[in-house]
Amino acid sequence: MPSHLSNPTVSWARVGSNCQKPNSGMIKPNMGIKDHPIESSALANALFPKVRQRVLAVLFGTPDRSYYANEIIALAQSGTGAVQRELADLTAAGLLTVSKQGNQKHYQANAHAPVFAELRSLVVKTMGLADVLRTALAPLAAQMEAAFIYGSVARQQDTAHSDVDVMIVTSSLGYGEVFGTLEGATASLGRKVNPTLYTPADWAKRMQKDNAFVTRVWQQPKIWLIGSEERLHAPSA
Amino acid sequence: MHPALENLCGPGKPLKAEAPDASEIAGLLRTGIARLRDAQNTTLALESRFDLAYNAAHALCLAALRRMGYRSANRYIVFQVLPHTLGLGPEVWRVLDKCHNTRNLGEYEGMLEVDERLVKDLVTATEAVSNAIQK
Repeated sequence: MPSHLSNPTVSWARVGSNCQKPNSGMIKPNMGIKDHPIESSALANALFPKVRQRVLAVLFGTPDRSYYANEIIALAQSGTGAVQRELADLTAAGLLTVSKQGNQKHYQANAHAPVFAELRSLVVKTMGLADVLRTALAPLAAQMEAAFIYGSVARQQDTAHSDVDVMIVTSSLGYGEVFGTLEGATASLGRKVNPTLYTPADWAKRMQKDNAFVTRVWQQPKIWLIGSEERLHAPSA
Repeated sequence: MHPALENLCGPGKPLKAEAPDASEIAGLLRTGIARLRDAQNTTLALESRFDLAYNAAHALCLAALRRMGYRSANRYIVFQVLPHTLGLGPEVWRVLDKCHNTRNLGEYEGMLEVDERLVKDLVTATEAVSNAIQK
């Protein structure tokens, strides 16, 4: 196993979808799987150990499809042994179903498990929070230069009552449209989503003038939803 | 009697029942409409326009709630009940709710972060409230 995968100092939340991913030496087929890791939060950390969170996020985040073990290991970005143990435990508890296809074992969330709906809801609310927001913002993505989560959720210090703070850099969108689009996500997360909108010019100006709020946001951990750090700063350079 | 508002009513809850008062509602409407008009005066400082529009929104939303026979213990409640009082959606009430938090940060922590966009969107949302209540 490449050493970076077991490096405990790598903060999971900071491994954003658009960060340069370390080369694992493996050719990953594009099978419609989202290639960003699923960020965890303090709520999720209190409930489940890291590897189980990631395995649950993969399987219960997309309960309608099955995965073979190597896919889950790659998506969970965790060690083979740890993931295999989780798969065995979850299967033994009846939370996953296993089907054999050729010589491959396929794992899938068991929709008939007595706690399936509850577990799925936990995954969406805590482990798949960024996923839910990314999906909700997708229809407006073309009108955004950048969007990222900051604040307590990105710092992994959130509680059940924490707002989800989202920074959006856009030249055309207004608060009304954004709130209208986010309402579904707010309902399914059971958390208030608090967007802040800046135009690219405003953003660049505030960064340059060392605006206290923007600087603080910028220095803190972020979970990227749309765009990337490089892209956001490219035009102002 | 409105079932959703009625559920928010009672000891320890944010609303209380109070019969509508025509002169109170007229007063709220008058100040709301006047302040909304002045909020669109671009010669004023952005902070002043924000205050005017925010207070206009509060007066108009309170008028809508009073008209239905309720009063709220907290300012922000009048925005959150807009779906029930005037049938307005998140594109209006969430914007006003955000402005309420922005206003509090400014009033109590000296951090008023307003820009053109927020003021423009606040005015748009307040106009939606004004149109709905005068329909």
